[in-house]
Amino acid sequence: MSVFLSSLGFGLISAAVLAIATVGFTMQFAVTNVLNLAYGSVMINSAFVTYYLNYHAHLNAWVAMIGGVLTGAIASYLLNRFIFTPFQRRNLPPITIVIVALGVDLVGTFGLQAIVGGSYFSYKQSLGRELHFWGMYLSTLQLIIIGICVVVMGLIHWLLKYTRLGKAMRATSANASLARNSGIRTQRVISSTWLISGALCGLAGTVFAMNTGVFVATSAQLYIVLLLAAMFLGGPGSAYGAMLGALTIGVATEVSAGYFNPEYKEVIAFVVLLGMLTFRPYGLFGSEKTI
Amino acid sequence: MPSAFAFYLATIIVYGAVDSMACLALNVQFGFAGLSNFGFIIFQAGGAYVAAVLSMGNWQKSNQGFQQYVLGWHLAWPLPWIGAAIFGGLLALPFVFLVGKRLRGDFAAVGLLVSAVLLNQLVNNFVPLFNGAAGISIVPAPFTHYFNPQGLGYQFAYGGVAVVLTVLVYFLLRRVTESPYGRSLRAMRDNDIVADALGKNVRVQRTSMLILGGMIAGLSGAILVGFINLWAPGAWGYAETIVLFAAIIVGGAGNHKGAILGALLVPLGFEEVTRFIPPLSNPALVPALEWVAIGLLIIGFLWFRPDGILPERRRILSGAGKSAAAMSAPVSAESDSLINLGNLDQMDFRQLLRLEGDASDHGIILSTDRLTRAFHGVTVVSEVSIEIQRGRLTGLIGPNGAGKSTTLAMLAGTLAPTSGKVLYEGRDITSMPSNERAKSGMIRTFQLASEFKKLTVLENLVSAIPRQSGDSFVGALRGRRFWGRDDAENIERASEMLEGFGLTQYADSYAGGLSGGQRRLVEIMRALLAQPTILLLDEPMAGVHPNLAHKIGDQLTRLVASGMTIVMVEHELAIMDAFCDPVIVLAEGRVLAQGTMAELRAKKEVVEAYLVG
Repeated sequence: MSVFLSSLGFGLISAAVLAIATVGFTMQFAVTNVLNLAYGSVMINSAFVTYYLNYHAHLNAWVAMIGGVLTGAIASYLLNRFIFTPFQRRNLPPITIVIVALGVDLVGTFGLQAIVGGSYFSYKQSLGRELHFWGMYLSTLQLIIIGICVVVMGLIHWLLKYTRLGKAMRATSANASLARNSGIRTQRVISSTWLISGALCGLAGTVFAMNTGVFVATSAQLYIVLLLAAMFLGGPGSAYGAMLGALTIGVATEVSAGYFNPEYKEVIAFVVLLGMLTFRPYGLFGSEKTI
Repeated sequence: MPSAFAFYLATIIVYGAVDSMACLALNVQFGFAGLSNFGFIIFQAGGAYVAAVLSMGNWQKSNQGFQQYVLGWHLAWPLPWIGAAIFGGLLALPFVFLVGKRLRGDFAAVGLLVSAVLLNQLVNNFVPLFNGAAGISIVPAPFTHYFNPQGLGYQFAYGGVAVVLTVLVYFLLRRVTESPYGRSLRAMRDNDIVADALGKNVRVQRTSMLILGGMIAGLSGAILVGFINLWAPGAWGYAETIVLFAAIIVGGAGNHKGAILGALLVPLGFEEVTRFIPPLSNPALVPALEWVAIGLLIIGFLWFRPDGILPERRRILSGAGKSAAAMSAPVSAESDSLINLGNLDQMDFRQLLRLEGDASDHGIILSTDRLTRAFHGVTVVSEVSIEIQRGRLTGLIGPNGAGKSTTLAMLAGTLAPTSGKVLYEGRDITSMPSNERAKSGMIRTFQLASEFKKLTVLENLVSAIPRQSGDSFVGALRGRRFWGRDDAENIERASEMLEGFGLTQYADSYAGGLSGGQRRLVEIMRALLAQPTILLLDEPMAGVHPNLAHKIGDQLTRLVASGMTIVMVEHELAIMDAFCDPVIVLAEGRVLAQGTMAELRAKKEVVEAYLVG
C-alpha cells in the first residue's frame, strides 16, 4: 500500500504537468487540425527562457516563469502564423503538416542545443519543505505545481464554457467553415487559440523543468509520447478529455514505475496510445468523424 | 595516403548503397503508396539485429560471454541477410492495424513514430535480448572465406555486393511501381476513400507495401551491420527516419532516382561533410547544427520545391508521345459551358462497358430494410426502406440535411448503418466492405472532387477498370510481358471513352489541373469504366454548368436504356424533372414520398418539405 500511495503522489505531480501540456496541445489540434509535434521544442525553449531570467537576471523562478509563459505564447503564435497557416493554405494533406512540424521540432530543439550546449541546467529555486501526508511525499514546490494545474484547468473550463471566445473556439473546432459563415471571425479565434495554448505550452515547459530538477536542451523531446497518449485517450481535440487522459497517464506511468522497472514506465503510455489508435482513434467517448 | 583514401572510398560506397536502399524502400511506401512510415528505422534496426545474431555463435558457448543476445546460430552468408529481410517483412505484421483504411494517415504515422521511440527505449534497457544500450559488437564480417577482411579487396568487394543489391532492389521496385498495380498504389495515395470505392483493397495494398518496404529495410540493415560489425540501439533512434524522409523530400517523392539522389545528398552527404569539420570547443555543436539543417531542409523544400529535385514523372499513356505532354488544362469555370461531349452519341455503351443482361428487365436490384444512421445520437437517416428497379434512373431528392448522401453512402458501403439492412440482388450485403461491393458491380461517385490528382486523366480512367491482370502484387512482379497486352487494351478502351466525352486532348494532363466540369466528367467516365451494374451518383451535376449538366443527363438516360441501373442524388428539381423516373423524396431522414415527378408535384407534403427546406 505504501508503494502505491507514494507512487500515486508522483503520479499526481506528473499528471499536473501533463495536463497543462496536453490541454494546450489538444486545443491546437481542435481548432486548426494540426498535430503540432514541435510542441516539445517550444516547451523546452520556454523553460530555458525562464532559466535565463531566473539564473542570469536573478529573478525569482516563479516570476521568471512569466517570461517562459510569454515565450510559449509568442513562439506558438508565430509558428502557426508563419509556418502552419501558410502550409495549410496550400491544401496539403495533414501528413505534410506533421512532417513540417517534425522539421520545426528539430530546428527548435537542436537550435537550442547549439546555443546552450549539452550541459545540465537547473533553476535557482528551493524545493521547499517536504510534506508527508496520506502516505505520499511531496515537496512544497510540487504542491504549488499541482495547485497551478488546478487553477489553470479551472480557467480553461471557464474559458470554454462561459466566454464568447470559448464558444467561438468550440464552434470553429466543430466546423470551421460553418463557423466562418455564421459570422465568427475564425482567423482571430485561431490566433487567440494559439496564443492561449502556447501560454499553456510555455507554462508546461517551465513546470516540467522545475519538476525534473535537472534538464538539458533535449529533455522534452520524448515528452510528446506522453502528450499523444493522454490526448488520444481522452479523444483528440477535447480539452476535458485531455485533462482526464493526463490524469490517467500520469498516475498510470508512475504507479507502474513503483511496481516494475522504472525504466519501462513510459511503456504503459505506449500501450495505451497504440491501443487507442487501433480501437478507438477518436477517444473513449468520441465517435468517428464522418466525411 | 592513397590506401587510406581507398578505404574511405569503399566505406562511402557501402554507406551510399545502404542509404539508397533504405530511401528506395521508404519512397515506395511514402512516395508511391502514401504510407507515412515514421517507424521505418524499426525495420532497418530489426533486420540488422537479426543478421547479426544469425551470423554470431551462441553467446554462452563461445567466448563472447560479455554480451547477451538470442539465436546465435552461426549461419553462413547469405543466410543471415535473407533472415534479416524475412524478419523485416514479419515486423510489418504488428503494424498492419495502424495502416488500415479507417485511420487517418497522420494518426497512423504518429502511431508508427511512437512505436519507434518506445521500441528503442525498450531495447536500450533490456539486456537479455539486446544487451541493452551497449549493443552487440564483434559481429562477424560476411564472406570472409573469399577475401581477407583486412584487405582493400574485401572492402571494395563488400561495396560491390552492396551496390549490386541496391541496383536489384531498384529494378524490383520499378517493376512494381511501373505496372497497373503501381497505378493503383498511386491512386490510393491520392485518395484512399475513392480508391476503396472503386474496388481497390486498400488494406491489402498498404500491408503489402509495409511488408515489401520492411524486407528491403531489413536487408539494408544487414548490409550495414556486416560492414561495421556493430549493432547499438543508439544508432537507430526515431530521428533517423526523419533524415530518410528529408532525403526523399529533397530528392523527389514518387521518383526512384530521386530517392537515390536524396540518399546520396542527405544522410550520406551530411555524415561525410561534417566529418571534415575540425573539432570545436563545444563538441555538441556540429551534430546539433546538422539536425537544425535537416529540419530546415524539410521545411524549405516542402515550401519552395515540394516535388523535390527530381519530381515524380508524369506517365504518358496515350499514343500521342511526349509532345502532347505539355498540354495544360484551362481552369476557368466558364469554359465548362463550352465542353462538347464528342462523339458520345455514336458510342455503343453495351459493348464499351461490357453491359450484360436484359435491358427491359425492371425487377428489384437493390433494396433497403429500415436503414438507420445516427451521428452523436442525432438520427440522420431513420428507417428508410426503398426499392431500386433494374434499368431505371432513380432520383433521390430532398432538402439539405434530408439524409440523401448518407443513404447513398450506406448503399455503397462507405458508411456503416446503425441498424437496418441493405439487400443487393436479394443478398444481404449490410456487412460487405465497400471495395467488395464495388467489385460486385456497385460503383459510387462523390459529392466533392475526388479525382486522383497526380494521376493523368487517362490513368484515372484506366485505374478503375476491374480485373486487370497486372493489378496485383504478383501480377506486377510477372512483368510487362504478362500484363502488357491486357493493359494496352484497357488504355484503348479508356481512350475511346475519353474521345466520346471529347476530352482526348487532356489524356496526359494531371487530373488535378482540370476545371470543375472536366473533373466531374473524369469522375463519371472513371465510374463507368469500373463497369457498374448499378451506378450511385452523389450530386454529379453540382457545380456543373447547366448546359453540360443536360448533356450528362442525356447520356445517363442512354446508359439506362442500355441496361445500367442508376441512382442519383440531386437537389435540382429541373434535373429530376428531365431525367429521373422514379423519384424518391427524403425529408428529415425519412422517405416522404415516391413516384414520378408529375405525381410528386401533386402531393402537398412534398411541396411543403421543399418550401420549408
